[in-house]
Amino acid sequence: MSLKYGVMGLLAEEPLHGYEVKNRFEAMLGGTWEVNIGQIYTTLQRLERDGLVRPMGARGDRGKLLYELSPDGRKALDEWLAQPDSGPQQLHEDIYVKLLLATRLANGDLAQLLGRQKRAYLQRLRDLNRLEERARRDGRIDLARLVRGALLHTEADLKWVDELTADAHGGKTE
Amino acid sequence: MGGRANGRRAWWEDGMSELVRLTDITKVYQGGITGALNGVSVTVERGEFTAIMGPSGSGKSTLLNLVAGLDRPTSGTVEVAGTDLGKLGEAGMARFRRDHIGFVFQFFHLLPNLTALENVLIPAQLKGNVVPGRAWELLDLLGIKEVADKYPARLSGGQQQRVAIARALINNPTLLLADEPTGALDTHSGEQVMELLGRLHRDGQTILLVTHDAKLATRHAARVLSVLDGNIVDDARLEDAERAAADVIRVHGEETRR
Repeated sequence: MSLKYGVMGLLAEEPLHGYEVKNRFEAMLGGTWEVNIGQIYTTLQRLERDGLVRPMGARGDRGKLLYELSPDGRKALDEWLAQPDSGPQQLHEDIYVKLLLATRLANGDLAQLLGRQKRAYLQRLRDLNRLEERARRDGRIDLARLVRGALLHTEADLKWVDELTADAHGGKTE
Repeated sequence: MGGRANGRRAWWEDGMSELVRLTDITKVYQGGITGALNGVSVTVERGEFTAIMGPSGSGKSTLLNLVAGLDRPTSGTVEVAGTDLGKLGEAGMARFRRDHIGFVFQFFHLLPNLTALENVLIPAQLKGNVVPGRAWELLDLLGIKEVADKYPARLSGGQQQRVAIARALINNPTLLLADEPTGALDTHSGEQVMELLGRLHRDGQTILLVTHDAKLATRHAARVLSVLDGNIVDDARLEDAERAAADVIRVHGEETRR
């Protein structure tokens, strides 16, 4: 995900001040991505430098400046939206490295690490379910879809841990 | 147990909340180890919604069948609602199942030559206590009143499963057991069926559910037993805190560059 294109997408709807961009961005993400106003202004300045957004008129009330998407910005946004995400898969969590290290350090006995991780995933599934319910209750279908993606990812993580657990278990009983 | 013998209420009626107790259960199958159990002990409290998860052949369905009195362990004791099932003969076991257990299967097991309503009433008839009012109430609760007079072949999978759930509930079972109840359903019908089980649980029904769907299991069950190679390898009790979105999901951006 890119803050840059998030900002451009919001400006494609209507011209906004920096603070409005921040608020709408966070509302769109349903609180799953918090940004500080400094990041927003830095992003807007870079976009302006690159000709993708432009200020509308002079500074208004309390120095607020409205930004709009430029035609070049619109083009760049459309291209970005049309691009599939084809880069490398992002594995951000520590578990992947912990697993590699545990295999080396603990003589292949992963049972404890996997057991704890499984519980964490189960709890996360429950929390995600609650979040999805809340999003649906609030009429935020877009957000519910995002949460659904997270649910399915966590389900895959859980299956992976189960598979490793079964492997470790099979190895021990043989 | 002898709770009734001395004139007092049995322990399970006395505000005690334990409903199921398995002690050192082994189950050996001749000719293969699939579904065998190797010394399982676990208790289930009244009012709990517990999911049992594990790969096929791990023994999770065996566990459910033992609690239901559909099968007997090779060794160990199964107690449900204060009854030691090992002390029951076949007739006693049938009575126990009729009075205490509601069972929902993956493939519904409805009788094809009976209507939905007639299917729901079968367990009540076996008990000699036909309660059409209760049946209608259940059909209404499960949203299938309008198909009461239809035969199973005319119903969708989701409707058939709801009929099966109504049938399982007709005698007000102490314990509702469900073995992959969403396994033969599409995602949406599966979610509806689970939603229903969740509602029954909120109304106080004790439920033991075998499933492979962790998403659905964790939505409704606050306890997850993991079975592997005939053992319970984990017993997770999940918290139900209202968490801020950012504490559950973090959408990451690449750092703004240059």
